[in-house]
Amino acid sequence: MLETILVPQVGQDLTEAKIVALHVKLGDTVKRGDIVAEVESEKATFEVEAFANGVVTSLPYKVGDLATVLEPLVILESAGGAKPATGTNPKNDTASIQKQISSNEKISTKTPIVENAPSNGCVRSSPLARRIAQSHGLDIGRVVGTGPHRAVVVRDVEEAIAKSGGQALTVNAAQTSSPRLTIKTLKNGVGTPVMFLHGFGGEIAAWRQLVMAMTITNPMIAVDLPGHGASPMAAKSGFDGLVDEVAATLRSLGGEFHFVGHSLGAAIAVALSAQTGIVVKSLTLIAPAGLGATINGNFVSGFLSARSEAALAAQMRRLVHDFKNIPSSLVGATFAARQASTIVQTQGQIAESLFEGSTQLFSVRNELMNFKGPCRVILGRRDAIIPPAETELAVPAHAALHRVEAGHMPFLEEAALVSRLIAQSVRSGE
Amino acid sequence: MREIMYRDALREAIDEEMARNHEVFIIGEGIAERGGSYKVTEGLLAKYGAKRVRDTPIAEAGMIGVGVGAAIAGGRPIVEILYVDFAMLGMDMIVNQAAKFRLMTGGEGRVPFVMRSQGGTGGGVAAQHSQSLEALFYAIPGLRVVMPSTPADAKGLLKYSLRQQDPVIFLEHKHLYMTKGLVPDGEHIVEFGIGDIKREGKDVTMIAWSNMVPRTLEAAAALSKQGIEVEVIDPRTLVPLDKAMILKSVAKTKRVVIVQEAARRGGVASDIASIIQHDAFFDLDAPVEIVAGLDIPVPFNLALEKASVPQTDDIIAAALRTLHLPAHLQAAE
Repeated sequence: MLETILVPQVGQDLTEAKIVALHVKLGDTVKRGDIVAEVESEKATFEVEAFANGVVTSLPYKVGDLATVLEPLVILESAGGAKPATGTNPKNDTASIQKQISSNEKISTKTPIVENAPSNGCVRSSPLARRIAQSHGLDIGRVVGTGPHRAVVVRDVEEAIAKSGGQALTVNAAQTSSPRLTIKTLKNGVGTPVMFLHGFGGEIAAWRQLVMAMTITNPMIAVDLPGHGASPMAAKSGFDGLVDEVAATLRSLGGEFHFVGHSLGAAIAVALSAQTGIVVKSLTLIAPAGLGATINGNFVSGFLSARSEAALAAQMRRLVHDFKNIPSSLVGATFAARQASTIVQTQGQIAESLFEGSTQLFSVRNELMNFKGPCRVILGRRDAIIPPAETELAVPAHAALHRVEAGHMPFLEEAALVSRLIAQSVRSGE
Repeated sequence: MREIMYRDALREAIDEEMARNHEVFIIGEGIAERGGSYKVTEGLLAKYGAKRVRDTPIAEAGMIGVGVGAAIAGGRPIVEILYVDFAMLGMDMIVNQAAKFRLMTGGEGRVPFVMRSQGGTGGGVAAQHSQSLEALFYAIPGLRVVMPSTPADAKGLLKYSLRQQDPVIFLEHKHLYMTKGLVPDGEHIVEFGIGDIKREGKDVTMIAWSNMVPRTLEAAAALSKQGIEVEVIDPRTLVPLDKAMILKSVAKTKRVVIVQEAARRGGVASDIASIIQHDAFFDLDAPVEIVAGLDIPVPFNLALEKASVPQTDDIIAAALRTLHLPAHLQAAE
């Protein structure tokens, strides 16, 4: 992976520093602690120390240049494979900033100060500045604060965004890797992506109506669960196998998401919150599985064993409160997918590992209790698949609970309402 | 439109409503023969007679009791309390009777009681004649709290007070009686819960009421010369409060200064700030600033009195702080 050593902040109010020496050239191997460069402010010269091991892959400046502070000075490639040089992963950037600070502290007799970094590691900023930075995918730790106590205020963020050409780091996660599971960007946007996880027997296309109703500007991405849509079966069977497979895919996308999950997908989203390398910014759980013990086993077997389109339609109507809310196109697409593949057999195996008759064999109650971020649960009062009353008992007190007039698919039957609730979750998670 | 004084606007409202509704009457100290200490009720005795314009002894508890009782019995009383400081003598009738009666009668009984009074500092009348006590009434559910800053608002709000059905604490300001402003001709009514943008701007929202409105407008004018455009919101009624107007303005300007003459501690400004920090947290680019009176009894000495309540320069300094402009940095370091 790439590590970026930044031009240090060489003094308050200074935006530029002169490069007076570069101790490395392209292809050099550097060790953590090596002095890689010297930069000069009006008052003093500062040595810049490497905070990681790696091979120099980029040197944007040459000796004598005036460099912009907090811009990349040396880019190292360390073990662990390539990543885009622009560093679209905000986590890494934060880490490198923090490391940068500590390397600066070692030469602190000359007191170079990274402006926006109090020693406790948190970044001071106004709520508005933080919100705007986040919605532009901008790491607020990279912004020089000019507010009181060097807090980042909105003018600083606006300047940083303007400098980076409008949309600082537009996330289009779906293009940044090749995951095992099928991933589709439903909508491009800026900020932390919203990841949609469909329910048992569903697929990415199930989200189409909801996404059309969504008004937030974050990128929206959906995944086909293992054994669903165009994704292969998971390597390991059972609920944990599904979670592992999804987690591996999502880690390769940067790992930081707002999650919207339906039914089985909601249970997986909850389980992901306990996985390392996955940052769950918010959870919106729609008719979640894994909280109560009961599922309508009759539906599961009827759904899987339906051989005619009419039988499948009859089963799928049980998903909703008002029959009109199951689009015939969805039934048709589900039916067609079955004709063309062995997906029913695959899903039958998955069902066997997840459910026993009308009992759910997995639970994410503990994980949900331990999740302290913003959480919202949306239940259909008329859910005929997973009894909402049983689910409700497992919803922790800190989660917001909404009961809507719908069956098991509130996001189909009340798309506008659900989209608003998701927007609230996303906003409170940012 | 005519330019008239605040006190004249109040008189017009009472006069028009007394002419319109024979249940409206007014009692108070020196309001009949003398025409009121601030000349608000001048001429009303001659026009409506001693039954409807009645002088009382110096007995605030009795006056307020009469007013609340009359309102319950179907009258439309206006009780003028010369200084809001002395409304304290009638607090039980206001807090435990007037404010509760509607609820405790299951909505059957209504108390259209209007207490007019005035507060605030002005001219060294010392600690017992200078208080701004709106927070006491603001804290009691069931009361309406009205604090007009202009002649037009004074007239429109007082007329509305005399037509609606709930107890109203109508707080004027001793500095405002002689101020002038344009008042629409003919019927002019201002409903409760609708704030007024006294000046439009995009950089800072200032919220002020009563006598702090003209002072805040002065600060806004001075800031405008430095290129800072302040939006001045006058809620006009503190209960009900026009939250929507405030939040909309904050969403635009991202910065807020709340100005109140009352003591800082436990004030209405603190409550408005708490609403803003909760409902508009992610719109804020700076902490909400409150410019308020000091937490002391108002001093008698004129220089000290002035120092105990917000002045134009205090308001300007607070605005600069919300903008993270150098004046603040210098002050802090």
